[in-house]
Amino acid sequence: MGKYLLLAFRNIFRNRRRTLMTLCMVGGGVAGLLLAGGYFAFMTHGLRESTINNGLGHIQIFTAEHFKRDETRVLDTGIDNWRQVAATITTGGHVRGVAPRIEFYGMVSNGVKAVGFMGSAVDPAAEDTLGFVSRVETGNDLDSKPGGEVEALIGKGLAKSMGVGVGDGLTVLAMTADGALNGVDVQIVGIVNTGVAEMDARYLRITLASAQRLLQSDRVTNLVVGLDATDNTDKVAAELAPRLQGLPQQMILKKWIDLATYYKQVNTMFNGIFLFMGVIVFFMVLMSSVNTLLMSMFERTREIGTMLAMGTPRSWIVALFMLEATLLGVMGAIVGVIGGNLLGVLLNSSGLHMPPPPGYTVAIAFRVLHVPAQMIGSSILVIVSLAFASILPAVRASKLQIAEALSHV
Amino acid sequence: MDGLVNVEAVSRRFTLDHEKNGAYVTALIDASLHVSAGEFLAISGPSGSGKSTLLNLIGCIDKPTTGSIHIDGVDTSSLKPGEMSRLRREKIGFVFQTFNLIPVFTAAENVEYPLLIKGVLPSSRRKRVAEALESVGLSARANQRPDLLSGGERQRVAVARAIVHRPALVLADEPTANLDTKNATQLIDLMHDLNRRLGLTFIFSTHDARLLEHTDRIVRLCDGQVISDSRQSDGHIEMSIQGGSRG
Repeated sequence: MGKYLLLAFRNIFRNRRRTLMTLCMVGGGVAGLLLAGGYFAFMTHGLRESTINNGLGHIQIFTAEHFKRDETRVLDTGIDNWRQVAATITTGGHVRGVAPRIEFYGMVSNGVKAVGFMGSAVDPAAEDTLGFVSRVETGNDLDSKPGGEVEALIGKGLAKSMGVGVGDGLTVLAMTADGALNGVDVQIVGIVNTGVAEMDARYLRITLASAQRLLQSDRVTNLVVGLDATDNTDKVAAELAPRLQGLPQQMILKKWIDLATYYKQVNTMFNGIFLFMGVIVFFMVLMSSVNTLLMSMFERTREIGTMLAMGTPRSWIVALFMLEATLLGVMGAIVGVIGGNLLGVLLNSSGLHMPPPPGYTVAIAFRVLHVPAQMIGSSILVIVSLAFASILPAVRASKLQIAEALSHV
Repeated sequence: MDGLVNVEAVSRRFTLDHEKNGAYVTALIDASLHVSAGEFLAISGPSGSGKSTLLNLIGCIDKPTTGSIHIDGVDTSSLKPGEMSRLRREKIGFVFQTFNLIPVFTAAENVEYPLLIKGVLPSSRRKRVAEALESVGLSARANQRPDLLSGGERQRVAVARAIVHRPALVLADEPTANLDTKNATQLIDLMHDLNRRLGLTFIFSTHDARLLEHTDRIVRLCDGQVISDSRQSDGHIEMSIQGGSRG
């Protein structure tokens, strides 16, 4: 079979210009897929890490009743003895820390008008430990120093709506655990730009102490667990789940992917676009290669007739053409992978930025990740496409009438 | 029926136009021919006389419209395409007018090809290729590609390719048509020499009367009919006239 492979390989280079054109087309398809896929991978990877580091964490712990809660009285289903739960969690490997949270809703008032908010109460020291960052555009982040418990961060849109800035005061109103309306005064220390306009119009962050005073409870709604690496999430979650079973309250563990709805939507969208591009490249390579391979077949009619006359099985002729196309696909894939990666390196060093996507206010850096799985997948795609393209010419060649083929000019 | 090739009353018609039923041209009419193993036979006749058609039929690359052909005792009319292919691979070697070498293969690789498709082991292939090239005097050109060989050398490579798998029969369709007189004569002499030394049966077609002096037996065709079958040995010519008159 080695000689047959050699024959196929040499046949590819009979018409060098045509082979070069085919390689450019196949390689271009692969490179295009790698650049688009690499950019999508960068976007989803960046979105994943920013989603986690913006406060979602790798794992979150809730009580079993949390998801049936009344949103006006969120701590009714909160974690009672959260320090004990946090201690249980931190004994595991790969855990960088645990941050208590209260996710709550209410109204914020400047004395003239009141606007609804989606609030979160945090322990600034714990957040710092986990490296969670608030996107403070003006002012400072919450402070963990004594006396910092009255500080608040608000979204850019909410600040605009309320007509307040850094240093101004606001009253936060919410329902206590007993069902009474309560209020605390806070001082704005920073304006946050999350990048999502809708979020900025409702964003409020205060300290855990303020929230517990406001809500008249020392419970928290959830515990956020930060790990040393995102890839360890499944491992830690599997190890943590049984240890949470022995606690007084029944707990539920959620991984970041279960909570990152937006990330999942974006990822699905990018996967869909990538698949669509893959289908386009597949048919582009298929249609143009059929023509090229048919031309090659017609040019070699007499030679094929000679091979058949000498007793070459017709299946060998089919195999020869498919082998040639497959080898061409392999070479095109190699050209594409090398070209795509080189272009990726060039683009990464160019410092290009993409305009903000819809709903975002921040421009996104253009970067291309080099993803081995995409290189393998794109290569297989074009190889299969070329093998498919060779079926028609191969079958036609194998069905040639020998006497006619031998007299072909 | 005990010869290597037995052609019995074979006719071959080609349909001219698929739209008009019955429109055809007859390339061969009731041709009969018996060739024994070890013969060196020329089929002669003008262009369009049916030489190539007869060789194609004997070579199992075409089927007769009527009549039967037996090769080495096998009735080829009953063979399926795959069996015809195997018969060609095992028992027949071909030399073509335009050499028909595979251009991307070297001379040695071209000669090796029939052994490759026959499934001969590489070590044995190498030995037999060397022997075949030696027998046509081209050992020194083994690694040259066809485009670097002269016409005469290319045709000698084609002859080596035709004999390397030791076929029962070698068919050569106008093997000298693209060669000058000197090379043509040398090629016929080479084929004759291989016929004598290796006992190979050669049937070749030609319309060049000068080359017929070098052959033992000449079958003449005209307008698709065998008109004579003559043998010459020691200067003595023995001729039999065949075929009837055509209306």
